Amino acid sequence: MSLRQTINSTTPADRILLVFLLLASLGGIVFIKDILPSSGGVSIEVQGKTTHRYLLDQDRTVRVESPYGHLTVEIRGRKARVIQASCLNKLCEHQGWITRGVIICLPARISVSVGRPEKSGDKEIDATTG
Amino acid sequence: MPPQDKYRIALLSAYALALHAFESLIPMPIPWLRVGLANIITITTFILFGFRSAMMVTLIRVIIASLFSGSFLGPGFILSMGGGVSSILAMGFVLYLVPGLFGPVGLSLIGALSHNLSQLFLAYLLFIQKIEPVLLITPFLVLIGTITGMVNGLAADLLIKGLKNSQERIQNIP
Repeated sequence: MSLRQTINSTTPADRILLVFLLLASLGGIVFIKDILPSSGGVSIEVQGKTTHRYLLDQDRTVRVESPYGHLTVEIRGRKARVIQASCLNKLCEHQGWITRGVIICLPARISVSVGRPEKSGDKEIDATTG
Repeated sequence: MPPQDKYRIALLSAYALALHAFESLIPMPIPWLRVGLANIITITTFILFGFRSAMMVTLIRVIIASLFSGSFLGPGFILSMGGGVSSILAMGFVLYLVPGLFGPVGLSLIGALSHNLSQLFLAYLLFIQKIEPVLLITPFLVLIGTITGMVNGLAADLLIKGLKNSQERIQNIP
């Protein structure tokens, strides 16, 4: 009895089950991250202190004030961007949509970071300058 | 239980244990990953000698293997026991419900799937207690389980046909 004969002797249900399981698991590997509610969020810091925290999957527009200026941040479709800034060069506006990483507006001293919310212990300052 | 059944179960358990021990010699990229070669014996037992014999062989294999490796009643033991028992239950259930629909390969796939899912469920219940990492790893494990289940099922099918052939040959000797 050869392997080929054995493969040929499998029932149609065997083959359907095999194909179904392969497709379902491969599909699962590809899509599981989209299905799961992400724990990623947007946190906005003003002068190094976190002032706003939002979930990425809730669309909204927020205006953030600091003593040095203001920003308007838009969260939509699991991305975030700065749509309006009080500064002159508008670097943060030009950065566009981000899905992870940070947008920093130096003049207003505001940063918008996207990604998994960090534990407070993970964040350490390497050095500061006066 | 008649004595020849006891001998058969003892012999099959010994085969399963030998395959189990042999498998632990094969290096694997991930330590908890196993092909489950002993399940070739489980499926063969299940198809040739039925549900009870397969359950006995699995229980004996899991308990003695864990005694040898010193993991008796440890987390690995609980997972092996849960996976082994649930896969026999699932195969028995399917064979009882729709006899003849699945061959050895299909039954092996069902056993592998229920083995994986019950282990994930047990790991979630007892050790991890967070649904997210368990769900993340589920499709990956099911994929590996499907591949190893197919390989084991084909091997068991070959073994069963070989055994039947040789039996016929012995019986046909005048």
